[in-house]
Amino acid sequence: MPKREWLAVLAAVIALAVVLPACNALPAGSPLHVSNFTLNLFGKFLTYAILALGLDLLWGYAGVLSLGHGVFFGLGAYAMGMHLMLEIGTKSVYQTALPDFMVWNRVTALPLFWRPFYSAWFTLLAIVVVPALAALVFGFLAFRSRVRGVYFSIITQALALSAWLVFNRNEMNLGGTNGLADFKTILGFSLSAPATQRGLYVVTVLALAAAYVLCRWITRSRAGKVLVAIRDSETRVLFSGYSPVQYKLFVFVVSAVLAGVAGALYAPQVGIITPAKIGVLPSIEMVVWVAAGGRGTLVGAMLGAFGVNWIQSWLTTSYPDLWLLFLGALFMGVVLFIPDGVVGVAARLAQRLPRWPAALRHREMPGSEAATRTPTP
Amino acid sequence: MTGGAIIYLEDVTVDYDGFKALSHLNFFMDRRELRVVIGPNGAGKTTLLDVISGRVRPAAGRVIFGHATDVTRLRENDIVALGIGRKFQTPSVFVNLSVWDNVELSLKRHSKGVFAGLWESADAADERRRIAETLERVGLAAKAGRQAGVLSGMTDEETARTGELLMAIAADRSVLVIEHDMEFVRQIARTVTVLHQGTVLCEGPVAQIQNDPRVLEVYLGQRKETHAVR
Repeated sequence: MPKREWLAVLAAVIALAVVLPACNALPAGSPLHVSNFTLNLFGKFLTYAILALGLDLLWGYAGVLSLGHGVFFGLGAYAMGMHLMLEIGTKSVYQTALPDFMVWNRVTALPLFWRPFYSAWFTLLAIVVVPALAALVFGFLAFRSRVRGVYFSIITQALALSAWLVFNRNEMNLGGTNGLADFKTILGFSLSAPATQRGLYVVTVLALAAAYVLCRWITRSRAGKVLVAIRDSETRVLFSGYSPVQYKLFVFVVSAVLAGVAGALYAPQVGIITPAKIGVLPSIEMVVWVAAGGRGTLVGAMLGAFGVNWIQSWLTTSYPDLWLLFLGALFMGVVLFIPDGVVGVAARLAQRLPRWPAALRHREMPGSEAATRTPTP
Repeated sequence: MTGGAIIYLEDVTVDYDGFKALSHLNFFMDRRELRVVIGPNGAGKTTLLDVISGRVRPAAGRVIFGHATDVTRLRENDIVALGIGRKFQTPSVFVNLSVWDNVELSLKRHSKGVFAGLWESADAADERRRIAETLERVGLAAKAGRQAGVLSGMTDEETARTGELLMAIAADRSVLVIEHDMEFVRQIARTVTVLHQGTVLCEGPVAQIQNDPRVLEVYLGQRKETHAVR
């Protein structure tokens, strides 16, 4: 990445991970005070931004639209949730070592697949590996059979629906419709303590920054160019000697891992994860964030995730009836009027501004030795 | 027979639900040869390229590249790695990448896998030189930084020069061209193969082909059309 971009990332990290938590630590009367509620809300939005980055890598760059990313988000969130449930131990309502919902469901022994989640290390591993494996298998079958375009989107939608149905079932021992909730501690720290939430928030900011750097690294590499080429003409990519299956699978897995990490950070900050977060509707909402912010820009995806959710949290408290109408209008409006999203509009406006931004753009041109020979208009 | 041949199709049959796009086709091309394939619509010209590039798997027959590699068993991208490139009929560039990047992706390289693609290649300087040379050769050096999508179509003069370019390329490569425009064929061709109903009708120098009564017969009433389609 160019130096300027590193500086921008650093500035954003300082503003979000140092300044905001510092304002949160100020006494409540101070004019610069940021409430626990706001900080927690921001933390949630930032987890969404991590997911949106991965989705943008997949959709905005490689042109593969997934309508099932809620599933990978859910896998990460449930992995974290299971660990947190086990950490509750006997401090639960029924004061047994089993999670409460198992007691209601007359489960007498902890199911086998829950046991490894006692270990925090295993949980961290599962947060990455489980979504990655799920994406690897699903993606391999789909891409290998050359399922493309809208057909791929439809089967990811089916994936979201079936995952939602499965997670809703009590027999799965994952809390059914109610999901996993009432978490008490994380690594021994009380989740109700503002300091713990502040810590989780800072970890989220750092995870987002790392995710951004990872995505930029990919998009700036030759592999990133191949992704854009796949969006332009997959057949041509194949006949240029690249395997589109391999590239799409790679980016699908990366985006699934980012979604899983996002989910894992979401669960302890929001305090609950239910099947409602992994179904069709949330998966589509995720796509709307990226579209609204601007596809294929990474920054747009983050801004979209943050912005749309901020509007949502404001609308659902002030005008609860309007939210779904707004979401629908937003998606249609973006598709019809600004297909390149907010960032695209901003870039076009900047292009109309005179001289200096143009000079900056030219310096970034790939193959610049040759480009400098072009007379500037 | 395969000694000097770069590609050798032996008894190749492609069957589309009963329609034989290629029928017991035998075809071979020498190293560093520029061959033009012509034929009326439905003669199997595109299918011939599809078979060589791995897009279509023949129902019977072998396609030998070099000495002994049977490409019918390979995937498209693996065939490209062997050194068989294909340019499609419609202009197909990656419109959202720069002209430079378009060439960069087309370069032959050791590995075209995703993990190799994440790191800059070891001989990046050499690569840049090859890209610059290629752009110079095709006359796009001045437009290297532009998005490929903004390049316009070609003028007549540029089309004429495409022939020169093809011949220059064929100096150290084997080139197989499928073409309808007889004017263009006369300009570039040494040997012409005429396909008809999925098999080779005749083969020889342009002048001989043009006066062959069998060729005239299969093209009868279609001569105008072959000029119009391009």
